[in-house]
Amino acid sequence: MNTIQDIQAGIVEEFAVFTDWMDKYEYLIELGKEMPLIDEKDKTDEHLIKGCQSRVWLACRPENGRLRFSADSDAIITKGIISLLLKVYDNQTPADILAADEDFIGQIGLKENLSPTRANGLVSMIETVKQYAKHYAGMPGEARHDGDGKDGKGLEDEIILALRQVYDPEIPVNVYDLGLIYDIQADADGVVFIKMTLTAPNCPIADEVVAQVQEAVSDVPGVKEVQVDLVFEPEWTTDRMSEEAKLELGML
Amino acid sequence: METRPLFPALDRQIYGKPLIYFDNAATAQRPRSVLELQQRMSVEANGNIHRAVHRLSAYATELYEAGREAVRRFINAPARENVVFTSGTTASINLVASCFSQRYLAPGDRILLSEAEHHSNLVSWQLACERHGASLEVLPVDEDGELSLPELDRRLQAAEGRIKLVALTHISNVLGVVNPVREIVETAHRHAVPVLLDGAQGIVHAPVDVQALNCDFYVFSGHKIYAPTGIGVLYGKRKWLDAMPPYMGGGEMIETVTFEKTTYAPLPLKFEAGTQNYVAAACMAPALELAQRMAEDEGLQAAQRTMRDYLLAELTKIDGLRLYGTPRKAERKIPLFSFTVEGAFAGDLAQILDKMGIAVRSGHMCAEPLLRRYGQTSMLRASLAPYNTLAECEAFMASLRRAINMLR
Repeated sequence: MNTIQDIQAGIVEEFAVFTDWMDKYEYLIELGKEMPLIDEKDKTDEHLIKGCQSRVWLACRPENGRLRFSADSDAIITKGIISLLLKVYDNQTPADILAADEDFIGQIGLKENLSPTRANGLVSMIETVKQYAKHYAGMPGEARHDGDGKDGKGLEDEIILALRQVYDPEIPVNVYDLGLIYDIQADADGVVFIKMTLTAPNCPIADEVVAQVQEAVSDVPGVKEVQVDLVFEPEWTTDRMSEEAKLELGML
Repeated sequence: METRPLFPALDRQIYGKPLIYFDNAATAQRPRSVLELQQRMSVEANGNIHRAVHRLSAYATELYEAGREAVRRFINAPARENVVFTSGTTASINLVASCFSQRYLAPGDRILLSEAEHHSNLVSWQLACERHGASLEVLPVDEDGELSLPELDRRLQAAEGRIKLVALTHISNVLGVVNPVREIVETAHRHAVPVLLDGAQGIVHAPVDVQALNCDFYVFSGHKIYAPTGIGVLYGKRKWLDAMPPYMGGGEMIETVTFEKTTYAPLPLKFEAGTQNYVAAACMAPALELAQRMAEDEGLQAAQRTMRDYLLAELTKIDGLRLYGTPRKAERKIPLFSFTVEGAFAGDLAQILDKMGIAVRSGHMCAEPLLRRYGQTSMLRASLAPYNTLAECEAFMASLRRAINMLR
């Protein structure tokens, strides 16, 4: 898998051959025309980013710890730039997306398209990509990007710390790094929803693990209520374990 | 009359190409006379108006009031009391929407406006309606962008006195069609309903005599008629301005102040709280003086008609191009053209034209309901001023064709 930096460097190199804006735009127009369209069913108001110049649709779904993006715009040049951005962001981990910058857009001479006044939805699109990355940053198998204390991230970090104190009775690795936690949602009232699984559906002490999770998270300051949803779909596999856990178990 | 040397901004290169400025409906370029006064006042007359006795303040006040007098003359208002300075068209409309509504709008009442309004003349009324439990009554435009007078009459009749004000655009910033404002005012007045005209474009392209029009309010901005930004005008009939409560409280709008009660300054200062943009207001004088001269110049007017007819003819030759605002009589169309092109999105065209040194507007143009009426979310608009030339129109057409080819 290419890193974001590699891909960005590749794009900058690609654009270096264009000497005038006309060639650049023609290339962007080509990219825009070629870009695989967003699935019609995803082209909804929910995925719409509105600018006063043009509209952008952006959909995101997680896949094996990485984020898959699809997008569209009614403006073809905007679509060409989206296609460049997706080359960079698509199929990357949330942490890498959060760490990436958009400097390459300036390096290829398209900075003006990202100025807030262009109002073409691109700036909001990048923000939305990063929001998705933040949202999915806690998903299993994903090395977490450090929270910045905003958007309830501080609380989520505390919850993760607490979860790391809960161990699977059969494996000497905590439930978080084992990848048993599928989702953590904390609302403004301090109600926390945790979606989790166990290594095997017929685990004899399932209730005990759930009770431990409940107890550990309840102790986090700011948490008022904990609701644990135990699911076995999708099924847990060793792929969901963090690097640390694999190392711990001598799997690496 | 030679206009181009008067406007230094026109003599510029954009990306190494001569600037073709076709976004005049958004803001017009400023002549030297305005730029010089701006500069001179900042140095020689920067003292706060109406307040102090010192020389700088007196000089600034003189120039400020001269700006008002120039406006009064330009629109033939009966007296200086009828001319209130604001920060622009939007502020003028908001003032009326706030103060008129406070006095006259009750639950169940309505404000009538058209489908072709700029958001300024729409959202301000929406806010006022929300505050007072009133609602909007929307007069449609037809395919050509025309309002129907019989329909206006019918709506006013059917409303049985619940429509408290008609707020319509003189010339839509998208359609460029001169509405029959005199007839609109007559129709509304037959039903005893006052009329506010949004003159943001009208003041530039149509002769405005508020007494002949007999409208109750006429509002416009300075920056579209060669003055600086940040200055606008609210013309109002005395009876309304007197009856309306003040808009903002502050300095300069008062007569006497005690903690128990404040009495307000006489018109127009009653509506001019706080330090005004006196430099920009003063600049209305040279700006309107030039506007007047250009309007009276036969050669310039003929050249404008030639450009309009040329663009109308050339644009309609382009395959898949749809023009919005096409009155049966070309005389009622100002040199402002909003259009869409099949297979070439407006935002893309504007971006490519920009690289060719051509400034045009694209997007929803602050008139989303109107664009929706035509099934569009974005249009391209070329809007001309008297300083544009036929050669620029020809260059524009060639560039537009090239841009369309790139996208198709």
